[in-house]
Amino acid sequence: MPDETIYQSMKNKGVSRRDFLKLSGLFAMALGFTKAPPFEESGLPTSLEFSPKVAEPIVRAMETKPRLPVIWLEFQDCTGCSEALTRSNSPTLSSLVLNTLTIEYHETLSAAAGFQVEEAKQQAMKKYAGQYILVVEGSIPVGEEALYCVIGGRTGEEILKEAAAGAAAIIAVGNCSSFGGLPKAKPNPTNAKGVWEIITDKPIINISGCPAIPEAITGVIAHYALFGTLPELDGLHRPKTFYGVTVHDRCLRRPFYEAGKFALSFDDEGAKKGYCLYKLGCKGPTTYNSCATIKWDAGLSFPIQSGHPCLGCSEPNFWDGGGFYQGQSAPLERPEVTAVGAAVAAGVVLGAGMAVANSNQKKAAEALKGGSK
Amino acid sequence: MNTQTMLELARGPIFYGALLFFIAGMLYRLVTVISLGWNKDLAKPRGDKATGVVKSFLRGGIIFPFFPREKAAYARNPIVYIAGGLFHLSLFIVVILGAAHMLVWKSLIGFGWPTLPLPIVDWMAAVGIIAMVALIVNRMVHPVMKLLTGVAEVLNWLFVFLPMITGYMMTHHMFLPYENLFVLHMMSINVLLVWIPLSRISHFMFYFFSRTIHGVEWGKRNAMP
Repeated sequence: MPDETIYQSMKNKGVSRRDFLKLSGLFAMALGFTKAPPFEESGLPTSLEFSPKVAEPIVRAMETKPRLPVIWLEFQDCTGCSEALTRSNSPTLSSLVLNTLTIEYHETLSAAAGFQVEEAKQQAMKKYAGQYILVVEGSIPVGEEALYCVIGGRTGEEILKEAAAGAAAIIAVGNCSSFGGLPKAKPNPTNAKGVWEIITDKPIINISGCPAIPEAITGVIAHYALFGTLPELDGLHRPKTFYGVTVHDRCLRRPFYEAGKFALSFDDEGAKKGYCLYKLGCKGPTTYNSCATIKWDAGLSFPIQSGHPCLGCSEPNFWDGGGFYQGQSAPLERPEVTAVGAAVAAGVVLGAGMAVANSNQKKAAEALKGGSK
Repeated sequence: MNTQTMLELARGPIFYGALLFFIAGMLYRLVTVISLGWNKDLAKPRGDKATGVVKSFLRGGIIFPFFPREKAAYARNPIVYIAGGLFHLSLFIVVILGAAHMLVWKSLIGFGWPTLPLPIVDWMAAVGIIAMVALIVNRMVHPVMKLLTGVAEVLNWLFVFLPMITGYMMTHHMFLPYENLFVLHMMSINVLLVWIPLSRISHFMFYFFSRTIHGVEWGKRNAMP
């Protein structure tokens, strides 16, 4: 691990103590601290636990912790999550890269290329074995289909397993690396999988989304860098800080939902008045993400605000979860005419059969009655 | 298996199967019941059968619901009359005029209609649930109802009550996460869809046939054989 602490490296770059404290405060805010996270695991003095100054643990952490080495792998992705990350607002990517992390390998951001950067990665994995954070972007094809993703002559599966072996923790960024994303959509031609389906013996955080919200990525990385622990996770391994409530619960159009005021098409009066997009297929009610609160591009807007229903991109299999513009309560499939026809025919045939049986029975009974007279 | 997978199953293949079973089952019931036939007139009766049918539906649709004293059941057991009526009203409003349910119909039959605001639907759902509780308590307490209540009656009540209560909990985010309640709601619907053709809940279809046939009998003026 790099020898100097985060604070020392910042000081060497000419960051003043005042600016350092300001930055710590920003971090604390970005991570949503009202009090510091679990102290026992983080190795910080417990006296700080109930400190009213929430920035203090951050200051202390940055003064004592060395910078965190990060290896960032890309597989079947669109680099959209890396793109999103470059637009992170708090902490900014530049602050992360320059101050908190040492990014040892990133296919898009690394200056080196080809065998040189692969060589650098191998060295970093050796040097920081058991200490580095592995960030994964993109889904991984496995088995015979692993050949669909080959980098430097090696399959994605192989590269991931090798890098995961020495990682302290794995952060899966975006829906593809978390749950398979677009490549995994039916019929999943490349047999793509999310990281947690392949690696089972390492702590994994899923920061899902298409792309993942940049502040969620930087927030989680900063959390680990500062405290050495993972934030609290939900059942799908997503940090609760960012995935604790649904988009619907924090949506600015929620009052219209309650009032039953819906846009029925994208150009009707309701759409112009900013009514709820539920009937246009919004998946907000089952989608856990902080789009509605953190928003995008420094809090400028998010899809629902700009008039498009939520696609549910932070949930598993969102590509196969019914039509994007079909109401969420609707069943996933509409029975085909042939299936309904078959059901109708089956009912009628069985009914007719039973009717014949009934009639025969009745006749037999009447014949018996007639005979006994 | 995570909640999302369960939800996909409950909204996808299981619902699909349950719906097809429901369609086949209801047609089976319809064909068998109609093929039982009805009494033919041995001689041309006096009176008008059509008028009888119209009167029968008017009695069922207007007089019984709004003039309780016309119905003997009200005097004998007002809880059945009031709670039963409110339950059916609630069911109609929630299932037909609730936004989420309209979207289900729209996806199945291809067209939609205007819906009521959530608070109205929500209150009506609450009314329906309270009515259902009143009905089951009445069933357990009333001396005659007790005799008429078997396993099938309790199951009828349960399979109708489960979608109602899970739907209500889902709207209000009670006790469990939304998706889990969504799974429970869909699964209870799937069970209900399978149960309807097997049970007397199929009266939603046979009601119209029985009212018609009774109307015909009432319209005739003749000596009953």
